[in-house]
Amino acid sequence: MAPTSAPVPAGPSRRAFLAASAGLALLAAGCTAGSPGAPAVSTEEADRLAGQVAVQEAVVAAYAAATTADPALALSDLAAQAAGQLDRLRAAAPSATSAPAPSAASVPVPPAPPPGADVRGWLRGQLAGAAAAHAQACTGQSGARAALLGSVAASLRGHEAALA
Amino acid sequence: MADDVADDGVRDEGTETAALRAVVAAEHAAVWGYGTVGAALPEDARGPAAAADTAHRDVRDRLVALLAERGADPVPREPGYALPFPVLSAVDAATLAVVLEEGVSAAWVRLLDQSVQPPVRELAVAELGAAEVRAVGWRSAAGRTPVTDPLPGLPG
Repeated sequence: MAPTSAPVPAGPSRRAFLAASAGLALLAAGCTAGSPGAPAVSTEEADRLAGQVAVQEAVVAAYAAATTADPALALSDLAAQAAGQLDRLRAAAPSATSAPAPSAASVPVPPAPPPGADVRGWLRGQLAGAAAAHAQACTGQSGARAALLGSVAASLRGHEAALA
Repeated sequence: MADDVADDGVRDEGTETAALRAVVAAEHAAVWGYGTVGAALPEDARGPAAAADTAHRDVRDRLVALLAERGADPVPREPGYALPFPVLSAVDAATLAVVLEEGVSAAWVRLLDQSVQPPVRELAVAELGAAEVRAVGWRSAAGRTPVTDPLPGLPG
């Protein structure tokens, strides 16, 4: 058995335990956002998902700011994961990338740790807030979008733990 | 059981219940697996395994109760499970724990995809996060890098 396989029930009921992984394959194949078989998405859901793109943009910016403030933190792996998550959210929320550019007055100030602050602690706070926002938004989504937001929220909780 | 989970784009209480049952099956396996994880660790390093075991038992029992409220049969624990690889050291134990947490994460994400009720999604996203936090600790103990998963529960 492959080393990465999950424990499986011994005997003929092995197939039953594989439900989660088999189901996940279906999730990947059949429920990708925007696929022909995907459920219809309400305007409200689409707007909320676009809002989470902004939350994730702030996470990416926070990693950049933390790296600038304290290069010794070696955040490149985590920052790359956050950027990948942003790409996935943008792909799931096309309206977020097709919106007109905001005016200078409405552009939010990028997050940055206060001078002299504990950069790691500040970054953990940013991650905790973003994870909570994604988790909250997840409950109002459905299908693959709920799965994606929930997964990103969980990952950011993991980031926070890794920085503890 | 995968055959019980519709994937035609329709989400209803039936798909949600089927996905809940799949999570119970994954939690049963995790509870069983953490017995092996704990046994392979030195006594003074068993704390995280014991805590994880308790967490998985608690959520499994909560899910079984939820299914009972719906009149759905809970998924019974299997009489036995096969390890995916021999667990002969503390590193093996940590690696098995990663497998267990990633297994339940996949089931929770599946539930998020298939659910229709916000409270169920609330439970799923909370437990998915808890599983990833535990997985971070076990990946570190297993010497794996990176210790974080960019999309827990989703195919890579």
